[in-house]
Amino acid sequence: MLEIKNLHVNVGGREILKGLDLELPKGQVHAIMGPNGSGKSTLAYVLAGKDDYEITAGTVTWNGQDLLALDPSERAAAGVFLAFQYPMEIPGVATITFLRTATNAVRKARGEPELSTPDFLRVLKEKAAELKIDMDMLKRPLNVGFSGGEKKRNEILQMALLDPSLCVLDETDSGLDIDAVRIVAEGVNALRSPERSMLVITHYQRLLDYIVPDRVHVLSDGRVARSGGPELALELERSGYAEFDEAAA
Amino acid sequence: MELPVKQFQTRAEQAYLDLFNAAEQALPGAGNPWVADLRAKAIDAYAALGLPHRRVEAWKYTDLRSRLVEALPLSRATGRPLAPAELERALGGEIAALPAYRLVMLDGELRADLSDISELKAAGIELVSLTEALQKPPSWLKQSLGKINRQDRDPIVALNLALMSGGVGMRAAKGLTLDKPIHLIHLDAGADPVSVFTRNLVLLEEGASLTLLESYGSLGERDVQRNAVTEVQVGDKASLNHFKVQREAEEAFHLGTWLVKLGTDTRYHAFQFSTGAVLSRNQVYAAFAGEGSAFELSGALLMRRHQHCDTTLVIEHLVPRCSSRELFKAVLDNEARGVFQGKIIVSPGAQKTDGKQMVQALLLAEGAEFDSKPELEIFADDVVCGHGSTSGQIDEDLLFYLEARGIPEAEARALLIQAFVGEALEAIEHAELRDALSRASAEWLGVSYD
Repeated sequence: MLEIKNLHVNVGGREILKGLDLELPKGQVHAIMGPNGSGKSTLAYVLAGKDDYEITAGTVTWNGQDLLALDPSERAAAGVFLAFQYPMEIPGVATITFLRTATNAVRKARGEPELSTPDFLRVLKEKAAELKIDMDMLKRPLNVGFSGGEKKRNEILQMALLDPSLCVLDETDSGLDIDAVRIVAEGVNALRSPERSMLVITHYQRLLDYIVPDRVHVLSDGRVARSGGPELALELERSGYAEFDEAAA
Repeated sequence: MELPVKQFQTRAEQAYLDLFNAAEQALPGAGNPWVADLRAKAIDAYAALGLPHRRVEAWKYTDLRSRLVEALPLSRATGRPLAPAELERALGGEIAALPAYRLVMLDGELRADLSDISELKAAGIELVSLTEALQKPPSWLKQSLGKINRQDRDPIVALNLALMSGGVGMRAAKGLTLDKPIHLIHLDAGADPVSVFTRNLVLLEEGASLTLLESYGSLGERDVQRNAVTEVQVGDKASLNHFKVQREAEEAFHLGTWLVKLGTDTRYHAFQFSTGAVLSRNQVYAAFAGEGSAFELSGALLMRRHQHCDTTLVIEHLVPRCSSRELFKAVLDNEARGVFQGKIIVSPGAQKTDGKQMVQALLLAEGAEFDSKPELEIFADDVVCGHGSTSGQIDEDLLFYLEARGIPEAEARALLIQAFVGEALEAIEHAELRDALSRASAEWLGVSYD
C-alpha cells in the first residue's frame, strides 16, 4: 500500500504540491488526472526520488517503509518504477547493456542471484516479443533514434524486467498514435497483478479506455480535488478541467 | 619578436645540450658522417629554439620549460628479463595479449629475445633496429629518417633527432598486407631515472596495408622522461591503421610525436588512448602530399589527480580533395588538466578540402580544467571546414534515469563516463582493440565487468 499524507513540495522555491493525500492499495490501479501545472509530474518525480524537489512537509510510505529516506536506486530495489514521460537518450550505452545492468543491479539489491548473459537474453527475448520489440532495436544506443512509440515500449520492457511492485506511469500515452497507445497499454495490462500497484498519470481519458483504473483522482493546484470510480474520467472527458482550473485560480 | 632563448636558458635547457655533448661519441651511429650531420643540425635547431614555454603559442598551455626542471641521464640497454605478468601489468592484460607481431623495446633497446623479428621479416616486412640502422643504414631508411615533414621547428622533435638511441625502422613493400597488427611495445625498465629517446620510421609503399599499435608502459615507478617520435610515410593507395596506447607510470613525462605524410588516395585511421604519465603531450603533424586521401584521428584521454595531458595536432592540407576528421574525448577528474590544440591549415589551391574537428571534455571535479584551442587557417575558397568544442559535467537527468532503474549512483556515473568515451572508441574498426580499450576505460573508472 502506498500512503501519501499531507505532501508539500517546492520546486525552485515555488510550492507545487500543497498538501496531497493519497492511498493506493496493493494490487489496484489508480489514475491521476488533472490540468497542466496541477503537479502530476512533480508527484511522479518525487516518488522516484529526483533531486531538486524539496519536500517541506508530509510523508510517503510504501508498505510501511519511508520512501523519502531512500536514494532513487534504493527505491527501485524496493519496487518503485517510474515510466518516464520523456525517456532519456544515452549515446554510447547499448540498450541491451543498460537493461542487463539495471536488471542485475536490482536483483543484487533484492538479494536475488544475478542473471548470466544467456539467462538474461532468454528472459529479454521473451519479454521483448510480448511488446513487439525487435531485438535489433535493443542493440542500438539507449533510446537514440527511437520513435516515440519505441521509447515508451522500451519503458514498459524495463518495467517487465525489473519486476516492480509500484509502477508510476507518467503520461505514458503522450505523443503516441492510437496503435502505439494500444500496444503500450496491452503491455501494462499484462503486468497487472494482485501483487502490483499502479499509478497511471495522464492528461487524457483515452489511455484509460485501455488501462481501466480502479479509482480516478483529479489533481488541482497541488492537491487531490476529487476522487471517484472510472466513470469520473469519462465525466472529465466531457466537461474538461475548467471547473478545476477555476478552483485553482 | 622573441629574444634568442640562449640568453636565458634554464638549467634543464642547458642540461640537454650538455647531455648531447657528453654522449655524442657514444650514441649509435657515432663516426658515421650521415648520422653526425643529422644530429648536429638537430641539436642546433634545439639550441636555437630552447625548451618551449607558455609564450610560445603552440605550448601556451604546457609550459615545458617550467615543468622540466632537470634532464635525466640517457637510458642504456639493460638486458633485464621481462616476465609475461610484468608486461600484462604495464599494458593491461588484453592489450598485452592482442594477437600481433610484437616488437619490444626496453628503455629504447629493441629486444630480439622478446620480439617476433624473424616472423615479421618472413611476413615480408623489411625491419631494422635504429641502432643497427644508424651504423649501416639501408638506403630507404637513409632517405627518409628525420625528413618526414619539417622537423626543425619543433624543439622536442629536434632534440629527439639529436639524441635518438632506440627504435625501429620498417618498410612494407608494394601491395603488402599482414595477417595481424604490428605491436610496438615501448617500456621503461623501471630501474634508475632516465630519459629515453626513441624514434621509429614506418614506410608503406604503394598499396600496402598495415595495422600498427604503439603502446607505452612502465615496469616500475620512477622518474622517466620519454621523448618518442614516429615518422610515417603512407605511399599512394596505401592504408594504415595507427594506434597509440599510453599508460605509463604516474611519475613519467611523455612527449610523443607522430609525423605523418600521406600520398595520393591513401587512407589513414588513427586512435590515441592515454591514461598514464604526470605530463604528456601527444603531437601529430600530418601533411597531405597527394590528392584524394582520407585522414581520421580520434582519441580518448582519462586523467586524474595532477595529470596533465596535451593533444596538439597540425593538419596541413597542401593539395586538393583530401579529408580530415578528428574526434577527441577527455575525462578529467580531481585537479587534472586536459589541453587540445587542433590546427587545420588549408593551403592556397587545396580546393575541395573537407576538414572537421570535434573535441569534448567531461569534467568530474571542480578542480579539473580543460583548455581547447581549435585553429583554422584557410587560404583556399572552395572548402568545407568546421570545428566544435564542448566541455561540461555529467548530465544529472541522465544520471537520475539510470538511478531510477536501480543502478547505484557511483555505477551510474561510471556508465555515463564509459558511454562518453565509448563514442570516441566507436571510431576504432579493430574490434579486439576497441574492446580492450573499452575495458581499459572501465578499469580506470574502477568498474569490473563479468
